[in-house]
Amino acid sequence: MKELVEYIARAIVDNPDEVRITEEPTDDGVVLKLEVAQEDKGKVIGKQGQTAKAIRTLLRIAAVQRNVRASLEIV
Amino acid sequence: MEAREVSGKTVEEAVETALSEMGLNRSDVEIEVLQEGKRGILGWGGEEALVKIIPLVSAGEGGGMADEGRAKPVEEAPDNDAIGETARNVVEQILSLMDVSASVEMIKYDDDDIPLTLEINSDDPGILIGRRGQSLSALQYMVNFIASRKHQSGVRVIVDVAGYRKRRQEELSNTALRIADMVKSKGRSIMLEPMLAWERRAVHITLRDDLDITTGSVGTGDRRKVVVSPKKRS
Repeated sequence: MKELVEYIARAIVDNPDEVRITEEPTDDGVVLKLEVAQEDKGKVIGKQGQTAKAIRTLLRIAAVQRNVRASLEIV
Repeated sequence: MEAREVSGKTVEEAVETALSEMGLNRSDVEIEVLQEGKRGILGWGGEEALVKIIPLVSAGEGGGMADEGRAKPVEEAPDNDAIGETARNVVEQILSLMDVSASVEMIKYDDDDIPLTLEINSDDPGILIGRRGQSLSALQYMVNFIASRKHQSGVRVIVDVAGYRKRRQEELSNTALRIADMVKSKGRSIMLEPMLAWERRAVHITLRDDLDITTGSVGTGDRRKVVVSPKKRS
């Protein structure tokens, strides 16, 4: 699931080398923390949060496929 | 292009003025009626109509690009086959990273107005469609976003799963026609359930040639709904 978020984030930012994702396990899944260059933050969030919402929706599909819970934080 | 608020004596007049100023067609925009406008008595107490014109953003401009079903073909310059291939690769990549096994078929139409469609076939189409088609919208949005960046141009492809969009489109056209009949016979506006942008657009397009009614949208975000109203004859 980390790979999914990484692939998407790296594809849409101007500074793909500065994309960092850390995983924090929870009881029933994982919290992914996505960090990007300051100037790319707007890109991963999008107008009215639309891009962040789309990434979360796709992450949900990945989580359902694996029978776990996953959430995404943009830090 | 930015949304614009324009006033006029009537809603109709305000819309006409706005569209000619912006150089857009009715099918390129969504119209929100902010204020109906009143005639007033003997020239007193009248109120202008106020409408908000929201251009439907084309692919590649970030924002709401993927959703509005805009019928504008992709610019000729970058070659369409290459764009189709890129988009297909992006879809396949995302599907595999989500652990969804599926095949992706590219469908090209002879009509330039119909964008390239990537049809996904999977054993479990439901999870890719999601509640009210939201997962499918997210996937299409992301694919257009990524492919646009790779090609540095506005890419617009349709992503569909097991013919879902086609079926939904037909369903919406039928609903729209039924509602239009009700509006005409009752002489009152009817508000539809909240819909995604491309779904609202399907309703607007179905009814745009009906001279007896007008359509608009109210509400924001996920709560945005189409309103079908009788056209006031002057």
